Amino acid sequence: SSTKQTPISAPLPSALATARIIEDLGRVSYPEGIMSPKPELNVNAKNGKFRYDREFLLQFMSICKEKPDHLPPLDAIGLEPVDQSQFTMSRGGSGRRQASGAM
Amino acid sequence: QEVDMLQQAETLKTVFSDPQNFNVKHPLYSPWTLWFDSPATKGRNLPQTPISSFPQTPVPQTPGNVAAGGWMDDIKRVISFDSVEEFWGLYNNIVPPSQLPQKANYYLFKEGIIPAWEDEANKNGGKWSIQLPKDKNRNNVDKMWLYTMLAAIGETFDPAFANAEPTDTRESLVTGVIVSTRPQFYRISIWTRQAPQSDEDVKLRDRIEGIGKHFKTSVLQYSESQKLGGPLATEVEFLSHKDSEKKGKAARKIVV
Repeated sequence: SSTKQTPISAPLPSALATARIIEDLGRVSYPEGIMSPKPELNVNAKNGKFRYDREFLLQFMSICKEKPDHLPPLDAIGLEPVDQSQFTMSRGGSGRRQASGAM
Repeated sequence: QEVDMLQQAETLKTVFSDPQNFNVKHPLYSPWTLWFDSPATKGRNLPQTPISSFPQTPVPQTPGNVAAGGWMDDIKRVISFDSVEEFWGLYNNIVPPSQLPQKANYYLFKEGIIPAWEDEANKNGGKWSIQLPKDKNRNNVDKMWLYTMLAAIGETFDPAFANAEPTDTRESLVTGVIVSTRPQFYRISIWTRQAPQSDEDVKLRDRIEGIGKHFKTSVLQYSESQKLGGPLATEVEFLSHKDSEKKGKAARKIVV
C-alpha cells in the first residue's frame, strides 16, 4: 500500500539536507586518520556554537564536493570564471601573441 | 529489525565515515552569507534569484546612505550557509579569486550584516587589510582567501574571543571578510565591529592588534617582522571606517 514505509536504503534527497546539527562534539568519533577539532577551542561550548581550527576544516575539502541545492546559477549573477591567460598575454613581452586581438 | 533501525538512527555518522549517507553535520558558530559584485553584476535584474527576495538595505535617508543603498542594488547575494559541510560544497563549486574578472569582490559576512559601513554592526568598526601586487600573487591569492574564510567561519580570527573564559560573553569582533580584484592588485580585508577611537583605548587596540597579527602570521603566513610594503603592496594595516572617509592626513593607521 502507499502507507508502507520506505526502505531505509532508498535514495535520500541529499544527506546535507537531512543531516542533523551536531550538538555535542564529544559524542562524535572520527575515523582513524581524521583529526578532531582542537578541544581548547570548544571548552564549555554549547548550543552548537563551535570553533574550528584550519587543519580540522581543511579535511573536508576533498570530501564535500556536492553543489549546494540553493546555489543560484553563477552566470545568472555575473559570476563567471575569466581565463587568466588573457591578462598575461595582454601584458606583452613573454607569452604567445593572441591571434584575434580580442583584447 | 526495529531495534537495528533504532540503533542505526542513533549512530552519529559524519561525512568522514559515510560521505553519501552521513546523518550529522558540523554547525558553524554563526551562519554566513556570501555576496558578490563585479562590473557584470551591475544593472542585472533577475526576478527569480534569491537576491531579489532579500530586503533592501535598511538605511536611514542621509546622502551617504542613499549612495550606499544604490550600491547595494548592484551587489548580489550568492548564498547563506551554516555548516562546515555546506561551506565546502560552496567552495568547491564557485570561482576562486584568481579567476574572477577585474574589479570584482567577494564579501563573506555574518548573516544579517550588510557588507557596508552603514550597517549597525560595521558603522563603529574598521578593517585590517593588505594589498598584494597581482603578478606576484596570482598563485597565492586563492589560498590566502581560503585561509581567511576558514579563520572567519571557524571563529579563530579574534584571539581574545577564541581564548575567552567561558564566563566571557563578548562576541567576536569580526563581522566579515572581503577579497577584491583590481587590474594591478588584490586586496583582502577583515572587518571589525569596533575600532579604537583614541590612543587611550588600549584594551580594544590590543584586541584589534591581535586580529591583525593572527591575520599576518597564521592566515597569510608571513613572519611577524616581515616588511610587505612596496610598489602596489601595503603592510597589514588597520583603519577605522570613520578614518577611511577622511583619507590622507587625519587617518590613524595601525600596522602589524
